[in-house]
Amino acid sequence: MAKTVLIVDDHPSFRATARMLLEAEGYDVVGEAPDGHSGLECAMRLSPQVVLLDVNLPDLDGFAVAARLTADDVVGPPEVVLISSRDGSDYGPLVLASGARGFIPKGELSGEALEAVLA
Amino acid sequence: MTLRAQLSILAVLGVLLAALGTTLLLSSDMRDTSAWALASPFMMLSFIGVGLFAWWRRPHSGFGALMTAVGFVFFLSAPAASDAPALYGLGYLFGSLFLGTVVHMLLAFPEGRLDGRRERWLVGSVYGLVLGVNLVLLLLNGPLEDQAHPRNAYVVWDATGVAKVVLGIAEGLAVVLAAAVIATMVRRWRAASAPERRSLGPVLWTGAGLILGVGISLGLDLVGAGDTVAMVPDLVALACLLALPYVFLVGLGRRRWFRAGAIGSLIQRLSAAHRQGSVREALAEALGDPSLRLLYWLPRDQRYVDLEGRAVELPDAESGRGVTEVRAEGRRIAALVHDAALLDDPDLVEAAGAAASLALENERLGAELRARVEELEQSRAGIIAFGLAERRRFERDLHDGAQQRLVALGLQVGMARSKLREDPARAEGLLDGAREELRQAQQELRELARGLHPAVLTERGLAAAIAGLVERATVPVEVRAMPPERLPSAVETVAYFVVAEGLTNVAKYAGARHASVAVERINGHAVVEVRDDGVGGADPAVGSGLRGLADRVGAVDGRLEIVSPPGAGTVVRARIPCASS
Repeated sequence: MAKTVLIVDDHPSFRATARMLLEAEGYDVVGEAPDGHSGLECAMRLSPQVVLLDVNLPDLDGFAVAARLTADDVVGPPEVVLISSRDGSDYGPLVLASGARGFIPKGELSGEALEAVLA
Repeated sequence: MTLRAQLSILAVLGVLLAALGTTLLLSSDMRDTSAWALASPFMMLSFIGVGLFAWWRRPHSGFGALMTAVGFVFFLSAPAASDAPALYGLGYLFGSLFLGTVVHMLLAFPEGRLDGRRERWLVGSVYGLVLGVNLVLLLLNGPLEDQAHPRNAYVVWDATGVAKVVLGIAEGLAVVLAAAVIATMVRRWRAASAPERRSLGPVLWTGAGLILGVGISLGLDLVGAGDTVAMVPDLVALACLLALPYVFLVGLGRRRWFRAGAIGSLIQRLSAAHRQGSVREALAEALGDPSLRLLYWLPRDQRYVDLEGRAVELPDAESGRGVTEVRAEGRRIAALVHDAALLDDPDLVEAAGAAASLALENERLGAELRARVEELEQSRAGIIAFGLAERRRFERDLHDGAQQRLVALGLQVGMARSKLREDPARAEGLLDGAREELRQAQQELRELARGLHPAVLTERGLAAAIAGLVERATVPVEVRAMPPERLPSAVETVAYFVVAEGLTNVAKYAGARHASVAVERINGHAVVEVRDDGVGGADPAVGSGLRGLADRVGAVDGRLEIVSPPGAGTVVRARIPCASS
């Protein structure tokens, strides 16, 4: 069965492209959110298996959102994968410390790259 | 009629009345030979003469008029020398009124007006007492005076006993009032600054001697002391009264003498004044005003600064401080903020300012330099902060704009590549999308590059660069003026950003229907102006754009001015120094 994905990113053009790409690769994109607060709300409501989460959101820091999504008191937390148009080396150990499974530069997003991070 | 003519008429009238009073005195069968009566015409002329002189010198002060009034009030007692009972009674009624006017004059010195309620009450009481007691004595057939006099024509109730009681009470009240007047004068003296004391001293102390003499004389009368004992304070009072106008004149002369001495030692001290602040000390000493402050005029900024170059406002009228401007060769250079009492002697302050004008101009230049350094430091800090904010903005714009487009472009090309064989139509659609992303990324990169520095400005000059801004503007923009020649590169760059920021604000906030742009060379300055007919109300303190622009203009020694009254459009105007090349 296809993995369910929530895309949290403030750029509509990226969300549209990412949805197209992931659906073409067999993922089920169940929702999109343009900022951290609505991302948290969608995650609670839709319970996706994977949250594709932008680091730079207009309201909350992506790392803080990742930490909330993967906190100990969350039942059945999603797998969080951070994304950014910046390079992953800009963030160093922050990615794993936030509870996320890994980081994918936006320009390298693909079903294969996502699979590799989640593996 | 000129003031001089009016005062001349009063002088002639005074002389005529004095002559009339003297004639009455000399022709009377019941001649009053007391010293007071004999001195009366002389005192009348003295007060009128000196009072008119003071009135002429300082027409806006009421003091001269009050002193003149004292002289004329003396005349009201002249009919007391008459043999005619009716006239005698009138002269008696007004015989002591001069004491009221003298107290009024003393408490109103030197401005000629009573400041506090207490003073007004005191003066009113003295007027009331000197008129009231004489009226009662006339009506109740009281003991009028020791000298022989005609019969009292105004008796309505023959009650000499009651009148004597009233007289006793009145004398007691008069002693209390005399003490209150002296206490008020002492309080004024103690509260006065050094320059005030210089001006108050002679008149105040002579006046105090007069009131004291009158008070003691009345007190002695009250306790029934003999006439011989009472004569001493009486004569002291008379001497003080006679001296009062002349003491005032001596005060004026003393002031002139003090002025000459003060200016002499000021010049000496200034020649040795090399330390910062020593000019103020020298002037403070010369004027006898330790609270003196010096403010220096910056003609370019049209404001005053202190010696450190910090902006300072002149004190307002209610502050109790006086301000005297110092000019040199017609130019304003400084202002002396001093004790308001020195306004009584404007010649002294002006002479001191003139003597110190060269030293003040030197200090002014120093203050101007310090103000400029302070301004440049602020401007430099502003430029650095503005530069950092701009870099953050560029990074954000790149990240949110072109970088996102390129990410999407990369993803779309990747997807198109994977669909190329199995679904060529889908691949073509993806490539179309990618081409659109590429076009938009190019557009955004162009905008960013233009924001950093417009290439057209360097290559084609200000007119071409501004024409581009005008073309991209969201409202019709008229170019009213543009210099025919190229301006220095730094000036062109700042002028360009003034117009760019101005038109950005027109698009974002002004709600304007029309705007205009002008760049002109005026008196060695490039004057750049962006004008719109929008809602106005722009505040440079609120938006970072205008603040950054002011720093940018300040960095090339220019000035940014925003005129934006609510509802009446906005004018952004920069004056940038631009020497002819």
